[in-house]
Amino acid sequence: MVLTCPVGIGRTTQRDESSGQSRRKLLRAGALLALGGAVAPLTGCDLFDRDDEPAPPPDPLRPMVDEALGLAEAHRASATAHPDLADRLGPIVEAHTAHATELARVIGVALPSAPAAAPTSTPAADPAGALAALRALEKAGQRTATAACAAAPAERAALLGSIAAARATHQEALK
Amino acid sequence: MKQPSAAEALAAALSAEYAAIYAYGRIGVRLTGAARDTARQAEAAHRRRRDALVVQLSTSGGTVPPDRAGYALPFPVTDRASALRLAVEVEERTAAHWRAALASTTGADRDQALAALVEYAVRATRWRKTAGLTPPTVAFPGRPT
Repeated sequence: MVLTCPVGIGRTTQRDESSGQSRRKLLRAGALLALGGAVAPLTGCDLFDRDDEPAPPPDPLRPMVDEALGLAEAHRASATAHPDLADRLGPIVEAHTAHATELARVIGVALPSAPAAAPTSTPAADPAGALAALRALEKAGQRTATAACAAAPAERAALLGSIAAARATHQEALK
Repeated sequence: MKQPSAAEALAAALSAEYAAIYAYGRIGVRLTGAARDTARQAEAAHRRRRDALVVQLSTSGGTVPPDRAGYALPFPVTDRASALRLAVEVEERTAAHWRAALASTTGADRDQALAALVEYAVRATRWRKTAGLTPPTVAFPGRPT
């Protein structure tokens, strides 16, 4: 029902273009189009046609998918640089990957195969330095998730709360 | 499933705090030294939350669920190992109640629920480390498994 309006207008325009219409006919078509434009808001056709409609805003959780993948990558890089830490860091890599997967599912996007940006820093040469850097990343990540949880609608609050809590427990596990 | 109201969710959290305080009474006597001190601090934290909830629920006209004389423990506490395992369980279970309260609350109430979830999740991780359990973390603290 809603589609009848643009289809009608489209036909008029096409006929005018294809058969070399007189100027008067074209003007009339223009008048029809103008009329169509004026009527459209009342019929609801403009739901699909208007180009001044702002694009839907990106999901506020979208950056958190990348953040979670970035955290997973940072832990993975440290585990590679310091194999002695691999047993400790492995479960944390898995947790961040699980968070990214769950966030992507909730906002309805496919999970990116890799973080949007490569890690900004290479792991510290000493294990203690690497752990301290990871703790700082987890702390920043906890702040992100805490803010997101506070602002989230009810159906997302529990997931974001668990992610904030997980990042807090990671800081403890990295001590 | 119907979303519980904030008062219902907080009442459920209060019941969990009662049970946690009871459980720590059983846990503490099986521990010694630093672990015993940690258990005492944990119990004090649950008591503070219980007291705050009683005040909050009674001043807001909500129903304050009664404490019970005893609570069924998920397994018998007979030694240090089982005491530490129960401590992990207690923190995870109370964390789960506060996690559930997140969806029912907004603003300061939600901040309070998140603070409890985070605190108990961290404490569960510390208990796992004390008990030598690996990994000391779970991917989604407080999420029903």
